[in-house]
Amino acid sequence: MYYYVVNPAAGRGQIKHLQDKLRSRLDELGIRGEWAKTTGPGDATRMTKAAIASGHNTIVAVGGDDTVNEVINGIGQANAAVGIIPIGSNNRLAAQLGIITWPQACEALAARRLTSYSLIAAGQNFFLSTLTLGFETDLDKTVDTTDTGVRARTRQFRQSFGAARNFERLRCRIEVDDQFSLECDLFSLSIANQKFLNPLADNRLIISISDHPGHQLRLGRMVWHTLRNRVAGALDDRASTRFLADRVVVETDPPKGIMVDGKVAGRTPIAIRLTDRRIRFVTEKIVADFKDAIASKT
Amino acid sequence: MARKAHEDALGVAGAETVIGTGVIVHGNLESESDIAIDGTLDGSVKTKGNVIVGVNANIKANIHATSIIIAGTVKGNVTSEGETSILETGHLVGDVDASGLAITSGGIFVGRSLVSSPQRVELGEAPEPAPIETDSSVKDRKSSRDHES
Repeated sequence: MYYYVVNPAAGRGQIKHLQDKLRSRLDELGIRGEWAKTTGPGDATRMTKAAIASGHNTIVAVGGDDTVNEVINGIGQANAAVGIIPIGSNNRLAAQLGIITWPQACEALAARRLTSYSLIAAGQNFFLSTLTLGFETDLDKTVDTTDTGVRARTRQFRQSFGAARNFERLRCRIEVDDQFSLECDLFSLSIANQKFLNPLADNRLIISISDHPGHQLRLGRMVWHTLRNRVAGALDDRASTRFLADRVVVETDPPKGIMVDGKVAGRTPIAIRLTDRRIRFVTEKIVADFKDAIASKT
Repeated sequence: MARKAHEDALGVAGAETVIGTGVIVHGNLESESDIAIDGTLDGSVKTKGNVIVGVNANIKANIHATSIIIAGTVKGNVTSEGETSILETGHLVGDVDASGLAITSGGIFVGRSLVSSPQRVELGEAPEPAPIETDSSVKDRKSSRDHES
């Protein structure tokens, strides 16, 4: 039984125009379920809890990363699966599951390929994908990236590049698994579940730290990449430091806000750990594709 | 392959655990796979994979790995099941216990080395042991050589 938690404000209210097409497509695929609209922050969590209590086994977040995050926090210990129809301004989570457009999301829901991911706890919050700290978090707060037109992108790039050039690196200390500590000046830090990057990998935290790119050209490329993909830049090969862990404690001087899946969710110092709680996600990523990719690399 | 490893050591790329330039680590770094260090580390390093010490690295630690490439500075004992290599920018102060040791011209090594080749295990039937030469057989050969001349 499907339960759709719809955020009518997501993506500047684009659900208004999509609603009929989306519902008829879900009908065609035979996965029409209950449809509920949120009215404010925290609603998606409450609705998810209520839906699970009434016996729904698949909760679909229709919105952006914020909506998905609220749904995750409402799942609790239940065995329900989570699906995403990405219509928000930030659809980082869906993109990491291989879901880019709403028609593709509908197909994925009907196919119901499920992958289990461990939740990550950051203080009292649970999240699934990525925690960021540093330049990208500041960028999310200062530059509106919802408009993707050419002029808007140019303006966003100018703003972001200026912010990146003037960004003062954060003094940071990280305690890792009670085994070692690490000190550095960071430009950007990301923490994610490595399984999100590769479904064949174990559930473990991958911590990536990027230093200031320094060179103007590299800085520009990094800013552009961040703006376009809205994916934590530090998670790719440009990270100057990266390692795996199960639990880290992050401190910065001065204390700074952290962002979890695109939403401000606390301040440093903060403990981040992998939990035993697992959530099954409807994903478009096929494990066989990863096996082929790995085989072709070796 | 050797060239790739050399480039990796100078640029610390490709490993799962990477400690970049300017990063200071205190404690025990353990991993199941390759570790590349280009920062400062005080503690110990242990992995089932390989360790690459980059040119900017400054390490005070014992290192235990499958193979070790040193392009930076290491003060500590180094144990590797495979080869330990000190590149032209490498500086190792400590003992080496490895199955091979390679020092490129310019590399500095201050310490003792214990290099032991891994034992070769032959499969199948053992070859016939060579006959042991007794004093008499040596004398026989000598007398036959004298006779020929």
